Amino acid sequence: MEILKIEHLKKRFGDKEVLKGVEMTVPEHSVFGFIGRNGAGKTTTMKTVLGLLKPDEGDIYVAGEKVIYGQTATNRHIGYLPDVPEFYPFMTATEYLNFCGEITGVNKSESRKRSEELLELVGLAGEKHRIQGFSRGMKQRLGIAQALLNRPKLLICDEPTSALDPVGRKEILDILQAVKEQTTVLFSTHILSDVERICSDIAFLNDGVIVEQGTLAEIQGKNRTEEYLLETTREEEAKNLLQVFPNIQELQKNQLSIRGSEETLFKVLKYVADNKIPIHKVEHLEPTLESLFLEVVKG
Amino acid sequence: MRSLIAFMKKEWMEQVRTGRIVILGIIFVFLGIMNPAVAKLTPWLMELVSESMAEMGMTLTAVQVDAMDSWTQFYKNIPIGLIAFVLMQSGLFTKEYQSGTLVLTLTKGLERYKVVLAKTAVLLGLWSVYYWMCYAITYCYNDIYWENSIASHLGFAAMCWWLVGILVIAFMVLFSALMDSNTAVLTCTGGAFLAVYLLSLLPKVKEYTPAMLMSSSALLIGGVEVAIYYKAIMIAIVMSIASVALSIPVMNKRKV
Repeated sequence: MEILKIEHLKKRFGDKEVLKGVEMTVPEHSVFGFIGRNGAGKTTTMKTVLGLLKPDEGDIYVAGEKVIYGQTATNRHIGYLPDVPEFYPFMTATEYLNFCGEITGVNKSESRKRSEELLELVGLAGEKHRIQGFSRGMKQRLGIAQALLNRPKLLICDEPTSALDPVGRKEILDILQAVKEQTTVLFSTHILSDVERICSDIAFLNDGVIVEQGTLAEIQGKNRTEEYLLETTREEEAKNLLQVFPNIQELQKNQLSIRGSEETLFKVLKYVADNKIPIHKVEHLEPTLESLFLEVVKG
Repeated sequence: MRSLIAFMKKEWMEQVRTGRIVILGIIFVFLGIMNPAVAKLTPWLMELVSESMAEMGMTLTAVQVDAMDSWTQFYKNIPIGLIAFVLMQSGLFTKEYQSGTLVLTLTKGLERYKVVLAKTAVLLGLWSVYYWMCYAITYCYNDIYWENSIASHLGFAAMCWWLVGILVIAFMVLFSALMDSNTAVLTCTGGAFLAVYLLSLLPKVKEYTPAMLMSSSALLIGGVEVAIYYKAIMIAIVMSIASVALSIPVMNKRKV
């Protein structure tokens, strides 16, 4: 069962067609990494899902209900955390969450209880200062708390870690990891290590279309090109190999990357043995999400 | 309904914590006191300048002031209060668009029309409280120093100017739904009101234009029938309601 379904979504800003027919489904109870370069259209897609932008073409369904631009009915299923969440600076964190509770129709006592729980979860319990004095990381944590307030079926996080320092990033990822039992998380980012750390499913958005979608394991299996590291003892020997095998790439001075099947590796190793080239090590490299993304985007 | 009240409470909290409510309160209280004060001080001021005037060959006779002078001052000062009010409140919507605070509120499921209604209600409520507070201060001082009874149709005349304020605020709400910047809201609100005023210069349509209500102080001296303002009142009410109503579909379609 999918919590979010996007069908043939198109969006143009002036001359620029940002989304060229996005097709995407987000399964329930997944942590879904929505990956794309800066400016790929991730935020546009998310804002359209939230009914904040009008699509030129296409339909979006949240929990089976159609999203209608300018209306907010489907947003009751959604918790949203923008990349830089903006709050009313004159309120305290507790006041803001209570305000959100009243807006979403959660009853007063439940709202207070939930606010306390969430402030505890995000490490802002007992914070009495007004939001205007909050750091970016604190605002991001409060952003997660407000997004989870109404126990949403879908938590949409738009690049939640991109503006944070490493400590702030870790805090946010830990929180998202902790909430994945309660809700489906749609998490857009261009920081692929974050996706590898917490996501179960991914989609690559490139040039306005989804070029790949599935579980992390499926995509890794589908696009897998073997990669080996060959480290020579001296730089000259590495240069020699680069001249003989044009499909070898230089990683560092004496480190080479061999991409392709085992056959390719064997050919290189045979040449190394025949010419008695001293080598330091040969290692199979596990594919990173970054290399997969580059491969998918290139392909 | 609960979410509408919650958003109104948030608006109220913003007015209080940003200090706007106090600043505007001080302005309107000051204006309310200034009306009788200026009238009361006029003879003394005239006496001060009489010597220098005498040297120039001009003789000033003793000046008699009464409640009418204070009410005349009220109608001179209230446009200043309205301008101050509009200047201070014109960012009520645009600040939310620019800072992005509305995004989270709307994604919580709050209907956009409630944003318009809550902000309009708070603006109209504040304008009404400030305006009638200013009126009450002037009335009380006038009653202490002079006799309010010499002015005719006091309440009706004041209501006319209060309606002018309501119309200006309704324009401000409409242009706030349409425009992105504070300056654009102020320019369009001013432009719309100027258009209404220019229409009132045409004799045939004058009695239909809300700008006619700005001359309601003429009622105080008597001899003018209140009935001549009825059409302008009706038009002002219809225009105010239409402006706020129109701002709802505009708000529904705008990018936030």
